[in-house]
Amino acid sequence: MKSSPDTRKPRKPEPGRLLAARAGLFLALAVVWEVGARTGVIDPYFVSRPTRIAQTIAGWFAGGFIYSHIWATVHEAVLGLALGILSGVVVGVLFAFSPFLSSLLQPLMVVLNATPRIVLAPLFIVWLGIGLASKVAMVVSLVFFIIFFSTYAGLRDVDVNLINHVRVMGGSRRDLMRHVLLPSALTWLFASLRSCVGFAVIGAILGEYLGADRGIGWIVQYGESLFDSNMVLSGLIVLMAFVTVLDVSLGWVERRFSHWKQQAL
Amino acid sequence: MIVLERVTQTFEGPAGAFTAVRDVGFSVAPGRFVSLVGPSGCGKSTLLGLIAGLTPVSEGRIALGGRAVGGGVPPNIGYLFQRDALLPWKTALQNVALPLVIRGVPSADARERALAWMKRVGLAGFEGYYPHQLSGGMRKRVSLATTLIYEPAVLLMDEPFSALDVQTRNLMENELLDLWAETRNTVLFVTHDLEEAIALSDEVVVLTASPGRVKASYPIPLARPRNVIEIRFREEFTRLYERIWKDLRDEVLTGYAQATKA
Repeated sequence: MKSSPDTRKPRKPEPGRLLAARAGLFLALAVVWEVGARTGVIDPYFVSRPTRIAQTIAGWFAGGFIYSHIWATVHEAVLGLALGILSGVVVGVLFAFSPFLSSLLQPLMVVLNATPRIVLAPLFIVWLGIGLASKVAMVVSLVFFIIFFSTYAGLRDVDVNLINHVRVMGGSRRDLMRHVLLPSALTWLFASLRSCVGFAVIGAILGEYLGADRGIGWIVQYGESLFDSNMVLSGLIVLMAFVTVLDVSLGWVERRFSHWKQQAL
Repeated sequence: MIVLERVTQTFEGPAGAFTAVRDVGFSVAPGRFVSLVGPSGCGKSTLLGLIAGLTPVSEGRIALGGRAVGGGVPPNIGYLFQRDALLPWKTALQNVALPLVIRGVPSADARERALAWMKRVGLAGFEGYYPHQLSGGMRKRVSLATTLIYEPAVLLMDEPFSALDVQTRNLMENELLDLWAETRNTVLFVTHDLEEAIALSDEVVVLTASPGRVKASYPIPLARPRNVIEIRFREEFTRLYERIWKDLRDEVLTGYAQATKA
């Protein structure tokens, strides 16, 4: 049989060229911004300049100012993430194995999940103070629901065919748990883990922005209170770099643990 | 030995109670290969689910090797499903070894036996592949190895080859007969394909349209070993086919009328 070229799928660009194009685009944007700010086409008071931002950030790292703030944000996000995942998995498993509990509490979960977390932030600060605890609570309130819903769905929507297959070959409840339910739930968990990390950082930053004495969110808020757009933008860029590093490393972990899955493209 | 006595199964459906099979009775002697044919929707798969203990029986009695089925899956049965049931997160080898792992066989031992079975179903070299990386025919072979590795006394097969293309299917049928000649499990094979049923079996049981009842049962006195591709051209085969088809035809037409009316 003669193979015919696939005309439907557009060809993927080579990785090297793609990287160069991305860098070029990024650089071009920075140049337009820099030139625009220097010639006064755009007001540097509001948007600063790439070189000034770079200087500020370099100064933060060189002077050691930034480390305690990054650490604060990481600390809040990681602690909240761990607690959120743990509680989400536990409640998800309870829901999946207790129809009574799930019917009883399902409406509550939906209402709580629909509540915008930003209205909870002031409450958390009033209840738990401006320190670590209120930020962790914020992160947990975001992460818990994502993990809870995916654990519940992962355990409930397991292919019946797979369960019967293992039952017929003599599998006990424990075997079902170990070989079918858990792996199925884990794939759902991994799929949602990446968005959880994003939400954990958002929660920590939001908490810091609304009331804290340290953290990247606090830097942004502090810069804003001084009308210092350079500080705000520098804080944002540190934040973006931080989230990017996290996301890339998580993508790597995810690929390692879901190698059995078929890629869509 | 599989024995069914006056088995009736009703399900609660959205339109009230629905009778899937009514007063079904037949038996399969140890080491025999029996096929169950009938129009689609006549309850063939339901019967397999009952025998495997996956669904509790509403009325009647089912016994395997003298022990009544009820309250869970009976020990030592194998079930080849119509759809793939391989665990997608395990490699072919891990899937084949799973029944042994569940039985507490030491992992080195389980691995060795699984390797031997992969070879036996012609998949040496594919041990590390995940199900989605294998073709439909290869997945069926892995499923077959997974089912046969623990030497179940009773083997239930629910249209296992219906999703395969005709050539692959005929090859798999021959392979199944070769393996069965060695293992000699008691086999109950469900299919809607009469040719397949005759080519494989010692006996063909015809079910009526829904609700399924046993309409007739035909011994298939064709000599073994058989080649399922060539046996179809034999005169005896054609004669048997014609006889059974006369019975089956009416049921297929009734089943079709039921399905189109609904």
